[in-house]
Amino acid sequence: MVGRIRFMKRPASNEQVFTLLGNTVASWFRKKFGSFTLSQRYAIPAIKARKSILVSSPTGSGKTLCAFTAILDYLIELSKRNELEDKVYCVYVSPLRALSRDIEVNLKGPLAEMQEQEGKEFGIRIAVRTGDTTQSERAAMLKKPPHILITTPETLAILLTTKRFREFLRAVEFCIVDEIHAMANKRGTHLSLSLERLQHISVMPITRIGLSATVAPLELVARFLVGYEKTAKGWQERECWIADVGFEKKIDVSVLTPTESLIYVHAEELSDKLYELIDKLVQEHRTTLIFTNTRSATERVVHHLKERFPSKYVENIGAHHSSLSRHSRLSIEQRLRNGELRVVVTSTSLELGIDIGYIDLVILLGSPKSVARAMQRIGRAGHKLHETAKGRFIVLDQDDLVECSVMQKAIKEKKIDKIDFPRNCLDVLAQHIYGMAIEQRWNVDELYNLVRQSYCYHELNREDFFAVISYLAGEYALEARDVYAKIWYDSETREIGRRGKLARMIYMTNIGTIPDESYVNVVIAGGERKGVKVGVIDEGFLERLRPGDVFVLGGERYEFLYTRGMNAYVKASVYRPPTIPSWFSEILPLSFDLACEIQRFRRLMAEKFTRGMSAEEIKGFIKKHLHVDDKIANAIYQYFYDQHAYIGIPHERLMLIEHYKAEKNFLVFHSLYGRRVNDALSRAYAYVIAQAGGRDVQIGINDNGFFIGGEKLHAEKALKFVTSENIDEILKEAIDRTEILKRRFRHCATRGLMILRSYKGKTKSVGRQQMKSEMLMHAVRKISQEFPILKEARREVMEDVMDVANAKKVLDWLHSKKIRVKHVNVKVPSPFALNLIMQGYADLIKIEDKLEFLKRMYDAIKKMQK
Amino acid sequence: MEHDIILTSYEHGREILPGIYALGKALWLKTLSMVVIADLHIGYEEALNKEGFLMPRQQFRQTTEELEKLFKITGKVNSVIVLGDLKHEFGEISKQEWFETFAVLDLLAKNSKEIILIKGNHDTILEPIAKRKNLEIKEIYFANDVAFWHGHKFHVELVKAKTIIAGHMHPAISLYDGVKSELYKCFLVGKWKGKNLVIMPSFLPIVEGMDVLKSKELWLDLKFNINNFNTYVIADKIYDFGKLKEIAKRMSS
Repeated sequence: MVGRIRFMKRPASNEQVFTLLGNTVASWFRKKFGSFTLSQRYAIPAIKARKSILVSSPTGSGKTLCAFTAILDYLIELSKRNELEDKVYCVYVSPLRALSRDIEVNLKGPLAEMQEQEGKEFGIRIAVRTGDTTQSERAAMLKKPPHILITTPETLAILLTTKRFREFLRAVEFCIVDEIHAMANKRGTHLSLSLERLQHISVMPITRIGLSATVAPLELVARFLVGYEKTAKGWQERECWIADVGFEKKIDVSVLTPTESLIYVHAEELSDKLYELIDKLVQEHRTTLIFTNTRSATERVVHHLKERFPSKYVENIGAHHSSLSRHSRLSIEQRLRNGELRVVVTSTSLELGIDIGYIDLVILLGSPKSVARAMQRIGRAGHKLHETAKGRFIVLDQDDLVECSVMQKAIKEKKIDKIDFPRNCLDVLAQHIYGMAIEQRWNVDELYNLVRQSYCYHELNREDFFAVISYLAGEYALEARDVYAKIWYDSETREIGRRGKLARMIYMTNIGTIPDESYVNVVIAGGERKGVKVGVIDEGFLERLRPGDVFVLGGERYEFLYTRGMNAYVKASVYRPPTIPSWFSEILPLSFDLACEIQRFRRLMAEKFTRGMSAEEIKGFIKKHLHVDDKIANAIYQYFYDQHAYIGIPHERLMLIEHYKAEKNFLVFHSLYGRRVNDALSRAYAYVIAQAGGRDVQIGINDNGFFIGGEKLHAEKALKFVTSENIDEILKEAIDRTEILKRRFRHCATRGLMILRSYKGKTKSVGRQQMKSEMLMHAVRKISQEFPILKEARREVMEDVMDVANAKKVLDWLHSKKIRVKHVNVKVPSPFALNLIMQGYADLIKIEDKLEFLKRMYDAIKKMQK
Repeated sequence: MEHDIILTSYEHGREILPGIYALGKALWLKTLSMVVIADLHIGYEEALNKEGFLMPRQQFRQTTEELEKLFKITGKVNSVIVLGDLKHEFGEISKQEWFETFAVLDLLAKNSKEIILIKGNHDTILEPIAKRKNLEIKEIYFANDVAFWHGHKFHVELVKAKTIIAGHMHPAISLYDGVKSELYKCFLVGKWKGKNLVIMPSFLPIVEGMDVLKSKELWLDLKFNINNFNTYVIADKIYDFGKLKEIAKRMSS
């Protein structure tokens, strides 16, 4: 059978596209642009022919018209024939609320010009419907539905359950999903079911149009967009074309360091030189966009630039990140477009496609951790489609140096890392089934089939599906069934339906997939830096802190002193080891594909050193291989030389394990596979080791490796024991008592509506949600270890937080000896291990149960009392 | 602590003051043939449900199981003292909550000649319950020189007692080995104005209570130095951990 997901080989010619369009749009386009962009030449004919299509192209001009031209043309022609109906023809969904207004403007502008050209009104209505839409705007929509509806995934799910609005969705013809690459998370899973619900309501087959930045693999993204259908012959993928327009802009990218060496330099000097470098770059360009990875770093950079160069940066600098108010974000965006800003510093919020006007330089402060993200960020520079996008990485430590250098090579060679969508999420499923039951009665088998149309649920097994039905029907709570039941289920007629008067209200006010989070500021209590805000921590984390606890934040150690309001006061410059794991820091993980590229580079370097090549030869290789300058090549060479001379260089075929003794025993695994894989591997090994010793052990994780710390550590046994076959079972046990599972359980419980964030007019604080969710998890466990919400929390930890799939690959490589293991005893950790050790431990693998712990504490305290 | 472990603690009582035994989460005054339980908070889970937490119900079953275990050890007693907060209150009271409250009182009645209800701060609806069951509600109750008192509001007669038994505080202690910390229910035994003061843990399962090492508040309407109190931790049996200040000192060293 020919695959139903196919790449388009060549675009239509300009003239071909013009002939496809009606007079109005064709002549407007000719006058306005003269010709079509490459992506428009792919998309317009396909959409005209009602073929679903995924267009992968960089963010930039022409995107709105790429998706909408064929649809506008259709609507205008209908209007001319007076055949425009009062219904929604096209639903446009974007994960970014801020994008909605942009799109509206980008559509209404051309439409107005076309009306002027024709000297008449078409009567085409375009409306934005998001959480911000006012009551009166909503009422107007119910009177006269928009022909083009611009919305977000969350609002779409609400509209699908709104009785009166559903009537307007009965014959939707087009659905556009924008920024589809940003949907590789539960919002995407949620949307994929909404799309099937929309198709279910609509009597017409909906042509789906996906717009994506450069990501891989595109077939997967296409499958996510269109899903599956059940025909007489059985299940098959729906048809979809892919237009891979690629990166049309040229990229000019390089890596910079503030100082010659990154090791023999004081923190202060490094900081001075860093801001000098940033200032120099900014001054050399018109408008610079700086990406940092965290919100606190964003604030810090703005603060320092203003402080150090008071005459240069006053009104012309701004910060943009998600914890700023909507108003200040909009103002920054507007001033950017007006060209009033010299430099804007952002965390991740300007990554996606909001129009930000002319940017001529993008600075990446710290590694963006994936090639796709780096390209997305750098792609914000360069105004016109064919202009060069200029990006500069600035690195501050040696691991970042190597990582960013390999990354820029991958960018030049267009090696894009792969994304994936979470699958079979039972919490999101529960939310949707609840919503669907509110709409109408369903036959469960039909419902199951509808769910399986979504790519994210195509493989969902019957047991899990029915477990969710049972959960919603209150069958797990034998004692008080009516309290828990959200739907009724009749196993005779195999039907389900809504239950309770409040159902609609509960659904509408608790919908969505983004969990509530709240943060408190971490502020220095005294000394020189008194009052300086160094970052934020999760409210739930704060609850666990005791005065005197040492924790790690942004790579620095702090001692917790006390709390006042929304501030946690700390002492800086603490040298004691951390006493509490910093599980709150959900840092961007290094992509597996990029990690493997770095591992490969490490192998090439190891081979050069063992072959005894000269320093000059090796530096020459680095320069040529990574496309870097002398300064960078020197620094990389030095780092690798130090490692080579000490214990050798670990790489894709050699895993070094360092053994050393400090306040306890440590095993350091040089497993450069990204923190998601390391999270899985370290916990599995640590659990096996802890069980053998009967005591809890600590683990520390970063992208480049992990360590295990404890009393007795039998590494060899654990390495032999853990395999790709048994890692799922081991992890299921290993994560059972972790903080991350508790946290994710809360998220899943709110998505699965076990915890109603908003109920009877009251909303719950995050702290309260977390506290109660821990009791909930405890209680649920007693009912069944396979309770769907608990099962989902575990899946989320193992597949979304960790990356078990790739961890299994690594385990197979280890067992097949594709990766050799070498143990080395050391007095101090090797250069490559340093960053990992410095950051402290990330979590505790708990083996000892509560009673055993009590007995041990009792003995210890009694002994001291004697 | 797990329910099944707590159940075994009823088999291994410990004398915490002359003639006064800690049996699980209850007190047994053997010579007076008296059992004391505090802060049952029946309907706690239901209150959470009303707030929008889908908490499965386990409290009632666990509470009755523990009570049955308790009376299996003590046999039928002369009196049971409910030291306040029998019922957790939150909005309207459902049929189920009435049922559970009466079922617990029936279980107590079956195992004792009399039930004495002490008024707690959560007990605003105790009266109709007491009326239905023909019970009296007291602010304070004396058996010889032992005073039974919930703890939220000072009572003048407290000064007459030699020993005061109080609830209300839900004491629990967090043990910490420098790496991890776990919370356990406990009894606190110490002095107030030269009298013995026993603070009882809550009988309520599911929640351990308030960490006495972390909270600066005493809760009880009395002034005393909690650091000098002896701590008895409840697990599979009752563990005498010694003075609170000593524990804190050992754990921070």
